[in-house]
Amino acid sequence: MQLKVPEHQVAGHIAKDGKPGPLVDDKGRFFKPLQGDSRGENEVKFYESFSTNTEVPDHIRRFFPVYHGTQAVEGSDGAAMIVLENLLADYSKPSVMDVKMGSRTWYPDASEEYVQKCLKKDTGTTTVSAGFRISGFEVYDHKESSFWKPERKLLRGLKVDGARLTLRKFVSSNSLSDMGSKPDSAFVSSVYGGSNGVLTQLLELKTWFENQTLYHFNSCSILMVYENESILKGNDDDARPQVKLVDFAHVLDGNGVIDHNFLGGLCSFINFLRDILQSPDESAES
Amino acid sequence: MLKVPEHQVAGHIASDGKLGPLVDDEGRFFKPLQGDSRGEHESNFYESFTSNKKVPDHIHRYFPVYHGTQLVEASDGSGKLPHLVLDDVVSGYSNPSVMDVKIGSRTWYPDVSEGYFKKCIKKDRETTTVSLGFRVSGFKIFDHQESSFWRAEKKLVLGYNADGARLALRKFVSSNSPADSNLTPPNCAFASEVYGGSNGILVQLLELKDWFETQTLYHFNSCSILMIYENESILMKGGDDDDVQAARAQVKLVDFAHVLDGNGVIDHNFLGGLCSFIKFIKDILLSVDKRHETETSPLENGN
Repeated sequence: MQLKVPEHQVAGHIAKDGKPGPLVDDKGRFFKPLQGDSRGENEVKFYESFSTNTEVPDHIRRFFPVYHGTQAVEGSDGAAMIVLENLLADYSKPSVMDVKMGSRTWYPDASEEYVQKCLKKDTGTTTVSAGFRISGFEVYDHKESSFWKPERKLLRGLKVDGARLTLRKFVSSNSLSDMGSKPDSAFVSSVYGGSNGVLTQLLELKTWFENQTLYHFNSCSILMVYENESILKGNDDDARPQVKLVDFAHVLDGNGVIDHNFLGGLCSFINFLRDILQSPDESAES
Repeated sequence: MLKVPEHQVAGHIASDGKLGPLVDDEGRFFKPLQGDSRGEHESNFYESFTSNKKVPDHIHRYFPVYHGTQLVEASDGSGKLPHLVLDDVVSGYSNPSVMDVKIGSRTWYPDVSEGYFKKCIKKDRETTTVSLGFRVSGFKIFDHQESSFWRAEKKLVLGYNADGARLALRKFVSSNSPADSNLTPPNCAFASEVYGGSNGILVQLLELKDWFETQTLYHFNSCSILMIYENESILMKGGDDDDVQAARAQVKLVDFAHVLDGNGVIDHNFLGGLCSFIKFIKDILLSVDKRHETETSPLENGN
């Protein structure tokens, strides 16, 4: 089995300084190293629970990566890895964006140190103000015919207007590395809009979140993916936009309460996309 | 002639020479403008909201009607102070049960002072604010056995966990004596008339939720939802819409000292908490429905 570093990872841990990062094979599988401090264990626990939970409606499963158990992998010191579906396996030139959902990334019962660390980051980003923050993205620049990824520092400094601009850039064809240029929102209808677009999928998730009390998805991200290859061939309608929830290291039981933190952020994110769909050429005004 | 309101359940209370709101006998409520610019802030909100054309007509019913400000003799004897003049939301009720629920998983907001932030977050974490997205601030119910009002102790209320909040919401619509120890479960006798029905609390909350999903005008930091209903006629149970009319359950938003401009973003903090609160109410209605399904009707019993 040939394993290699994934091409399009936009957020989270990467292989660095001898520490293992995620890997992919050529059979559509994604290998995620188990994070320390029981986080990896917690993520496995979630996937085990979720994949067999009969209370999760069938139509909601499409928003979660398929789980294939854990496996020790050669070359990673025998450390166990979580085996998941490679979400980008069927895409040849995917644009990807990771958005961390919720107006807080900490949760009751977390250690005081963790709470303070999260609070600092939450108040310094759009997490507190907008209910979500953009963790990372990689877009195919149609003008440059190459992929473009912003510096992480840039993303952390984003305020509400910057987040809005970035969400427009994500579906634009004009030069993205030029911070001054106005995004053309060329693919907004085929990615965010339409009966299979991101907005429709998010609205389906929202309905589930209004009632489900199974899990609290602390610090989880929504991943948005779409295909540029078909757009390059002139088939904007084959962009195949997909929404997936990822990163379950901090998921806890719902205990009869809805995940109001995730839901509030999700509703805010939905409103941002709606505004962009309704006025792709202008900045939305309150 | 101004007097201390009978039915206030949370916030500053004008008694024992303290500064607090007053009511007259014409259905008006006089709220002293709080210091530290909070009072000015609240009157600014009312001024803005009352004339804001972007607020849909059907949403105005959820807000107290504003009548400007007036110099009024303060309740603590400190002389004439500016007061907000509002419609008293409980005037028109003879024996109202009232509950104040602070909505949102945080009561602080960006750009507050370090001191205020620390104070708020401590309280938010110690109560159900962080865990549930709302906390019960206070409530009083009419005890039909004793024919008098029972008020929940503030300390008790602030110490609620999720189960405590759930219990309080059930007690709020029950006819068995609230003064009873917690051994007798609340019977939720009025749940369908107060929470349910085509004009009940749930329907009103769902209308508010719809508005909050798109409105970017205001962020209602630290605001409360007040639930009110009439006990006078509620003992007549027939299980139809007439009883809902008799209960006249109302939802009102109150306390706007910390409202800020929305600036193009929805009030996701309030909305998340509101959705959680709605789920709690829905669950109570579901449990009551289930109980009705399993109970045999008197007719079947008799024959």
